Amino acid sequence: MSSFFSRIKSNAAPASPAPGTAPVKKDPNAPEPTPLEKLLVNAGPLRSDGSDKFFGFENMHTPTNIHPTERLPIAFSYCNSIVQCLYYSAPFREQVINFPARSPPEALERPPSAPLPRLNTNLPNGQNSPLSPPGRTSISSPTRAPAKPATTPGAQNGLPGTKPEDNKDSPEYKKKQALAAGPVLQMDYENSKSYGMNESLFSSLKDIFEAMIAHRSRIGVVSPHKLLEILRRDNEMFRTPMHQDAHEFFNLLLNEVVENVDFYSKNRITEAESELNGQTITSGEVVPDQNSTASNKSNSGWVHELFEGTLTSETRCLTCENTSQRDEAFLDLSVDLEQHSSVTSCLRKFSEEEMLCERNKFHCDNCGGLQEAEKRMKIKRLPKILALHLKRFKYTEDLQRLQKLFHRVVYPFYLRLFNTTDDAEDPDRLYELYAVVVHIGGGPYHGHYVSIIKTQDRGWLLFDDEMVEPVDKAYVRNFFGGENVLACAYVLFYQETTEEAMMKEQEAEGLAAAQQATQLNQDLVTVTTPKANGAANGHAHHAFHQPRTPTVEEEDQFASLNHAATAPPLAHVPTNTEHHPIEHVSTHIPVLGSKKSNLGLFKKEGKEEKEAKAAAKELEKQAKQKRKDMEIQRRENYRKQEEDLRLALAASKASAEEDAKKRVGSGEKNGDNATPTESGAGEKDKQANGFGSVKGMGGLNRFRHTSMSLKGKPKFWGKDKHEESVEPASHGESEDADKDKDGSKEKNRFSLGRKKSTFKF
Amino acid sequence: MFVLPPPPRYPIGGYPGIPGQLIETNNSISHPTGPEYQLVVGEGTYVLRDDLHLATPPPHPSEAPVHNPNPLATTISPPTRGTNLSIVALAPRQPSQSQLYRFGTRNSTRSQVPPSIQESPHETNSQASDVGSQSVNGIATSPLDGLRTPVYGEGNAALAMINGKDSKDPLKRRKPKSNIIKSNSSFVSRVIPHEALTKRLQEHNPNGLYAFANINRALQWLDLTSPIKEEHLTKILFTKGHALCHDINQITKGPNHLDIIMGFSTGDIIWYEPMSQKYSRINKNGVINGTAVSDIQWLPNSENLFLAAHMDGSLVVYDKEKEDAVFVAEEHSPTTEEATSDAEKKALLTVKKSVNSKNQKANPVSYWQVSSSKVNAFEFSPDRRHLAVVSEDGSFRIIDFLKEKLLHHYMSYYGGMLCVCWSPDGRYVVTGGQDDLVSIWSLEDSMLVARCQGHNSWVTAVQFDPWRCDERNYRIGSVGEDCRLLLWDFSVGMLHRPRAASVRQRGSITSANLKMQRTRTDSSVNRLRSSSNLTSGSLPDEEEVVHPVESRAHTAMLPPVLAKAIDEHPLCWLGFEEDCIITSCKNGHIRTWDRPKEGATNDDSSTFASASASHP
Repeated sequence: MSSFFSRIKSNAAPASPAPGTAPVKKDPNAPEPTPLEKLLVNAGPLRSDGSDKFFGFENMHTPTNIHPTERLPIAFSYCNSIVQCLYYSAPFREQVINFPARSPPEALERPPSAPLPRLNTNLPNGQNSPLSPPGRTSISSPTRAPAKPATTPGAQNGLPGTKPEDNKDSPEYKKKQALAAGPVLQMDYENSKSYGMNESLFSSLKDIFEAMIAHRSRIGVVSPHKLLEILRRDNEMFRTPMHQDAHEFFNLLLNEVVENVDFYSKNRITEAESELNGQTITSGEVVPDQNSTASNKSNSGWVHELFEGTLTSETRCLTCENTSQRDEAFLDLSVDLEQHSSVTSCLRKFSEEEMLCERNKFHCDNCGGLQEAEKRMKIKRLPKILALHLKRFKYTEDLQRLQKLFHRVVYPFYLRLFNTTDDAEDPDRLYELYAVVVHIGGGPYHGHYVSIIKTQDRGWLLFDDEMVEPVDKAYVRNFFGGENVLACAYVLFYQETTEEAMMKEQEAEGLAAAQQATQLNQDLVTVTTPKANGAANGHAHHAFHQPRTPTVEEEDQFASLNHAATAPPLAHVPTNTEHHPIEHVSTHIPVLGSKKSNLGLFKKEGKEEKEAKAAAKELEKQAKQKRKDMEIQRRENYRKQEEDLRLALAASKASAEEDAKKRVGSGEKNGDNATPTESGAGEKDKQANGFGSVKGMGGLNRFRHTSMSLKGKPKFWGKDKHEESVEPASHGESEDADKDKDGSKEKNRFSLGRKKSTFKF
Repeated sequence: MFVLPPPPRYPIGGYPGIPGQLIETNNSISHPTGPEYQLVVGEGTYVLRDDLHLATPPPHPSEAPVHNPNPLATTISPPTRGTNLSIVALAPRQPSQSQLYRFGTRNSTRSQVPPSIQESPHETNSQASDVGSQSVNGIATSPLDGLRTPVYGEGNAALAMINGKDSKDPLKRRKPKSNIIKSNSSFVSRVIPHEALTKRLQEHNPNGLYAFANINRALQWLDLTSPIKEEHLTKILFTKGHALCHDINQITKGPNHLDIIMGFSTGDIIWYEPMSQKYSRINKNGVINGTAVSDIQWLPNSENLFLAAHMDGSLVVYDKEKEDAVFVAEEHSPTTEEATSDAEKKALLTVKKSVNSKNQKANPVSYWQVSSSKVNAFEFSPDRRHLAVVSEDGSFRIIDFLKEKLLHHYMSYYGGMLCVCWSPDGRYVVTGGQDDLVSIWSLEDSMLVARCQGHNSWVTAVQFDPWRCDERNYRIGSVGEDCRLLLWDFSVGMLHRPRAASVRQRGSITSANLKMQRTRTDSSVNRLRSSSNLTSGSLPDEEEVVHPVESRAHTAMLPPVLAKAIDEHPLCWLGFEEDCIITSCKNGHIRTWDRPKEGATNDDSSTFASASASHP
């Protein structure tokens, strides 16, 4: 590490690598340390996994070829917010760094540190005048626009005449300070050669991650020039200032990463085959060793592993009662919103049964024709990271454009999915919210994105471009939306977790909150399972070893003390669990995978106990009898219900058949599952209507993952067209009608897109 | 060609929490009619009687509306809560001749719950709020009852002295010290009594309902049976504290006396007597616990003691007449040797100060750390021995508060739990939470009985309708953030079988019963020496305390019998009265829904039977 550090030139040798260790240097003019700096005081040694890096991202304004009067309020916050969310997903970050192989840091080009204003992160610029640092201008990068457009819409509500950045509490001021304080990582170089890859979004993302991790400062600002350059070079829709959507960017980025990674892996395999000894192609300084090639084969699917889940769409033809099933992969779920609803409910609605009728009839292979059908989509395989896109931008017919929905949609910190198939593996998987992308603004064309992210051990942080600020956990709930609420959650990231981790974390939060308590009571800690406790026990800096445990630094000592205090009882915990009475053991069948291991033990113990308690057994028998009776009763009821249901179904079937008969020959053409495609195209056309010259872009993006494949970007358009041509000829006619349907059909589109993408992979 | 979209149109108007107007306004009442204001259920149609809209007070002048234009402002706003009601009828309860409850079938020790606990049709003052133990308290006026039911802290001589002092003069209620109208406290901003307050009080029908409702920083005293019910009897404006919860003591109530406690966002607690306009402040400036009070209730059978849930997860018992003292956690078991620690940690309830502490000169009377996160609600069981507590971490606990011991610890499916309610017979507990579910738990079987799915958002209040419950069938009502009221008919035989029910391996119900019984017997027998139990932490034959989350595949699902959006704003409170259902929303709308006209009160069981039969 030290050798690596020495490679970084610094013109103001900092006293300490940790930014906060000596925050105030007796300089009376030294400004107050920022909340983030305070948080990071005594942060300990730097970690190599990057979990202790808190960099803002510069919101750059491109040298614009757009009309000068036009402001660019969105700028690149959509990109910044998403990249931050990805960075703080520990598995994703790890994979990015380690794919194709962890490059030795010396081999990589680093951000030019020499011309930076200063590298002493302890001391933000003494002068309050937001200066453009000397040397910064010398960097041949797109510099900030002289008058920074208001990136926070709130600024527009500020008093006219006073510049928002004059107010020390304003985000504008803080952002300027963050930029001035630096260090600023100018990501205008690329290391793709060293990675043995082509220049791509993935390589530039990797560059950013590597640079952040390698830098000895914990805080700073990243200027993601290269990433944006590649993004805009290859994707026309991101070249315009309009309609830049964080979710679309996320989708594109993930798909690009998948593509880049797959492309690389394929190349490696062919190379390995052609060059028998596995010597490398690249002229780069770094030669990824052979075993990396081998490992590539296995780990190239990591994006899928993390984000991909499977949807099963069941379509039941109402004519022949035949049910067809199709599995479709997805990388995120886009859910329609309702006023005053919850994410849970949106997800349930997503999987609600839906009639395919009229223009959306289903082509049944069994009956051989277009039939009315019932369709529903459930989740068969649950992703590790569940990205939920709340569809806040909805096309409104009368305005001919997208409008933002301000619906209040509540989201819990923990989530399970109700809409799983019966055969889903681990259907009760527990998710925890770890990141929220917030859109601030009145509409899709204007606004600003920030993200609020739960970091591994620093609690929740607000990432607003250059600014990074610790926030209270309750702050995360400020973005449910609602009337007069400009800032609403737009993309939610839930990651897989366990109940043990949840309990542990809640406890840690409780401890943090109860820091004023003079007495450290051991009882507080015993709630966790033995396993959890065992892991926590004995670590002086337990926070560092407990993933996702937000412990504020000041409490660390308390927390560790507390764990120390628990040490004696720990030994007893397992014995306690063994003494669970039998009836409870069998009552609560652990379903979560993590629990399965305990199950056997419980049962065994229970049996022993049963034998010991003859009296209990007898009572149990009685209970069984009672239960049997109840069961019988229940079954009877159930049977009754089923019968009712059958009758109802028969009735509905009859009516459906009637309907079907009426509709036969109505001229609607629909191929097998053309429905979703068609509605998707309808949407696209709509978008075209809305955008004029940006024709098809909104819709295009929706198809991005569809056409996303190993074939490279230029085929993008062609692909899309191809898709259009597949559609029934009648499409043009029915397009208007489809628009009306759009709302209800959107989910099809998304799942379809995703499905296609995976099939191609 | 590219057409520039119109400039951004941000929603106009203020930001949430900042009311638009700056002057004090009056409540308004409206009587909307139409099919959208009717609830059609099996037993008939509930019709909206009126919609009383409480006026949101303007911000206090000293608290000039901080108009922070930054939607990302990280300033933490103090907790606030939508309108909640505490309802009371002054008339003493009539002995019940309940048609709905037959207790012969139950022979557990719990059946010592007096039958009068079951609300009779005439029992208009059952306060069916989420702070619903009032129905329990209300009957404690019966002396017989007092003998049967243990009183919290009765084993402690230090407390008994004070209790005894009160009983010397039971007719004359003790009032708080300070006059709230003349008060120059910085906590109370303004008190606005009605011009004809005395006259209205005299005219009040003793069977009629008084209600206390919070809205923003105001607390209003309303007469729900008055023809001019929109005119408050008294309105108190506090300076910045918001009353988040309040409760009326059903034992001490009388024509000239009402004891009300309110918990504030500042942590303060106010004991208020509206008839004499006297008040006193407890936990002043949060000297005992500085976090906001999320729920507050009088202890069953107690004139003086009440329990407050603070947002740091502690439950604190205060005495309304005691002075505050800086709280230092006591050694909860000073005499206990460390050997019992393993039994103790199973208790999972940290008793920082026990009711048996000898030091009872000042508040708090007792202090328990229940959870590491915020306690959202609690409720006392009808048998007055147990306490159900739900908290933000998703836990649901059943505590034997007499013995200060945790009996059960359950978890929500996911997310925090927001509300809790006991069935009138104490056999079931229902909870609602951020998993959009109403969950029904059986105490006897110590298990989750069913999950009720139907809300589209978080469930904020859940209540049993005692007028539509009998020993087998239960009517549950719930309201949520989705602005909807849902009614559920629950009877054990009707449950939907879960998918995996066939392979379900339920434990022996009987042995669970046995355990439950044993605990109960213990609790009654050991009542007097509960202190020793407490110090040893738990009984040797420990039953399972922490219950894991039940898989969805193994749980019965219950559909609602009614689901209807009844307001434009998220709902936050629900109450069942003899003749109506009352709901309230975050915006201050109190809506009263008349029960079906056709002899519902006389013919309850038959209508109910048909209602449940008609339900698929």
